[in-house]
Amino acid sequence: MIKQQEERFSIPDVIHPDEIVVAIQNSRSLLEDPSTIVVRTFLDSFDWRLYSRGLSLWTERRDGVSRLCQNGIPELGPNAWITLPGAAPRFSDDIPPGQIQESVAQPLGVRALMSQVETESQVRSLRLLDSAEKTVLRILLEQNGSRVSGTGQYRFCGNTIRLLPVRGYPKPLSRIRKLLRSKFGLSVAKDDLQDEALQAIGREAGDYSFKLSFNFDPMLRSDLAARQIHLYLLGIIERNIPGMKADLDSEFLHDLRVAVRRTRSALTQIKGVFSDFELDRFKSRLAWVGQVTGPTRDMDVFLLGFGQYRESLPQKFRDDLNPLHDFLTKHQKMEQQILVQKINSPHFRKLLKEWRLFLETTVDEQADTPPDATTPIGQLANRRIHKMYRRVLKHGSAINDESPAESLHDLRKECKKLRYLMEFFQHLYPNKKISRLIRVLKELLDNLGNFQDLEVQADQLREYARQMVEERETPHDTLLAMGMLVDGLLRRQQQAHLEFSERFASFSRPRNQRMFRALFASGSKGGKR
Amino acid sequence: MRILGVYNIKGGVGKTATAVNLAYLASREGLRTLVWDLDPQGAASFYFRIKPKVKGGSKKMLRGKIDLDDLIKGTDFENLDLLPADFSYRNMDLLLDEVKKPALRLLKLLRPLSYEYDLIFLDCPPSISLVSENIFQATDALLVPTIPTTLSLRTYRQLLDFVANNKLDSLKIMPFFSMVDRRKRMHIEMLEQLPKHYDELLTTHIPYASDVERMGVFRQPLLEYASKGPAVTAYEALWAEVRAGISL
Ligand SMILES: Nc1ncnc2c1ncn2[C@@H]1O[C@H](COP(=O)(O)OP(=O)(O)OP(=O)(O)O)[C@@H](O)[C@H]1O
Ligand SMILES: [Mg+2]
Repeated sequence: MIKQQEERFSIPDVIHPDEIVVAIQNSRSLLEDPSTIVVRTFLDSFDWRLYSRGLSLWTERRDGVSRLCQNGIPELGPNAWITLPGAAPRFSDDIPPGQIQESVAQPLGVRALMSQVETESQVRSLRLLDSAEKTVLRILLEQNGSRVSGTGQYRFCGNTIRLLPVRGYPKPLSRIRKLLRSKFGLSVAKDDLQDEALQAIGREAGDYSFKLSFNFDPMLRSDLAARQIHLYLLGIIERNIPGMKADLDSEFLHDLRVAVRRTRSALTQIKGVFSDFELDRFKSRLAWVGQVTGPTRDMDVFLLGFGQYRESLPQKFRDDLNPLHDFLTKHQKMEQQILVQKINSPHFRKLLKEWRLFLETTVDEQADTPPDATTPIGQLANRRIHKMYRRVLKHGSAINDESPAESLHDLRKECKKLRYLMEFFQHLYPNKKISRLIRVLKELLDNLGNFQDLEVQADQLREYARQMVEERETPHDTLLAMGMLVDGLLRRQQQAHLEFSERFASFSRPRNQRMFRALFASGSKGGKR
Repeated sequence: MRILGVYNIKGGVGKTATAVNLAYLASREGLRTLVWDLDPQGAASFYFRIKPKVKGGSKKMLRGKIDLDDLIKGTDFENLDLLPADFSYRNMDLLLDEVKKPALRLLKLLRPLSYEYDLIFLDCPPSISLVSENIFQATDALLVPTIPTTLSLRTYRQLLDFVANNKLDSLKIMPFFSMVDRRKRMHIEMLEQLPKHYDELLTTHIPYASDVERMGVFRQPLLEYASKGPAVTAYEALWAEVRAGISL
């Protein structure tokens, strides 16, 4: 038997909560405990990883005591909680061990918890008693206010009444529910407090996602479609800036970098929709963003993977890597500082401002239009994807075991462009088929990515080793352990090289080729069937 | 999930007071806690103002005809539930004798509750019987409130013998002094002497206090109506020691 859930009702403004208390009092023996103020802070990652899995996590402070509470795991029953000795947890590792920690660790991954919204509730607690004066139902009347965490006034977001059943006493609950319905016309609230609180500050749960999901008409002019894509990506860039500057977790920078990369790719790949003059104004400046964000990301990657690096070595050498960890931590902080300076620079701010201005300026119908500005986007998408696909096929087929590394790197670049194109326009094609092709492409990309990144990482480690020696005395054992890491990386890189031909064969097998052609080859028709 | 038995062969030593107060403290720290009132007299049920009655009685329960889950009642306190006593528990011995592997029966019944509770207290009736054997099999640790007298010491040794003879080696025994009266010489002497001989003896002891007796008047755990005093302090210390002892 799953524990009985609490029931929550919204009280419309026309009903005063006192009327309800009086009505209940008339029929039952009721005890009122001293009223309290409860402050709740709803926690989730920036990209709502808990919410999207039906979980909610919040801290709750009343009478000077803090708790960490959770909802959404059937086995734990409604509103499981633990006392919180210190500050609110930032990463899942900061949560005291137990089922709450276990249930959020996996969904959160490397993302930090942040406060999404804060509520303050004036709570009147009533208890319904039986003839032995035992509590058989708890009734909480809450007047709720919400605000962006830590700032400003609380804004009223509704009166609610919550019925908390006591296990094994189902009747009192149904009696009071009935009374609320018949006498006051109340029914169970659709939203929970978090939703209502977010609404009151003009937000909603799940309002940030890194996923691309467009929905424009295949007949839309290509320049307008391109603007939509760019505006969306620009939104992602802008929204990640505060978290990135504060270094809340590594993924703000990651998402920002990917959005910039997608923007650059879209600029050159959705060809012929903007004038060359406009393109040139932004291309190199966006490339600059990619460059200045690189060093911090490199450090992040090493730090995120550090546990795995450690474990790749035999037990007795693992601690030898500690100085490397210190080095990475220190340099990550330094790079982060430099990065923040660049992000705060007039150059960067001006770039975003001008880019937005350009994207939002209405298209001048009279002016000389670039060749494909007015082409229906469905048609342009077909043409561009098909062309890039053919290029990938051609260059990939020409690669053999003797080919230089460069040719694999180049192929990776083309595959990425193809992938971005397919993702931008995914919704224009039958979902199952395009998803499959994207997956097939991703598998190839993983291989090419390994081939390149593992070597880059090996080179970086060697460079770090040199820097470490220059900066301070570094134990030989540390350098030797790093040497082992380099060796492991290069071995895996070799492995990736050997696997390439098999992966490419799978990517380019006839069935996939037919599918690609069927979806994209009809350059002039375009669109969804 | 940990299962703690509160047990003594002797009656009236403070078992029920211990089960109720420690369970209350555990739940206040956020542990999802259940008390099973195994005593047909139903003292624990009385303290929680819950009718000592179980649907179908022990017969249905022991034969697995009804889930423990459906018999549990919430107390007045968050995170603290009770499985009530029932008058039919007085026949539990006979009923247990009829089922397969009788000594493991309670453990089998309790196992499905492991997702719902972090801690279960078994408030046991006095005496040694098939029921107590079941309790020894089911628990991770046995709390043994003991009044510091020579007679109590004898019964404690009987318990140790029983445990040794029945190969219950993994059972952790945690005796502690209960109802300690500092005006009594024998109590003082035992308090001084025994820790040398019994390593397992907990350091906390519960003093004799009229505060505790009044649980029956208020029908509440001690800490609900008394916020300080020697007994309150002692139960808090005992709980801390027990919690550490079972690594929870
Ligand atoms: N520390 C104490 N100081 C004073 N009185 C106590 C103390 N502990 C328990 N009592 C009282 O002694 C009586 C017996 O206590 P309790 O019911 O806890 O013992 P028990 O071992 O569970 O008894 P039984 O064997 O009958 O189940 C009760 O009236 C209780 O209020
Ligand atoms: Mg008792």
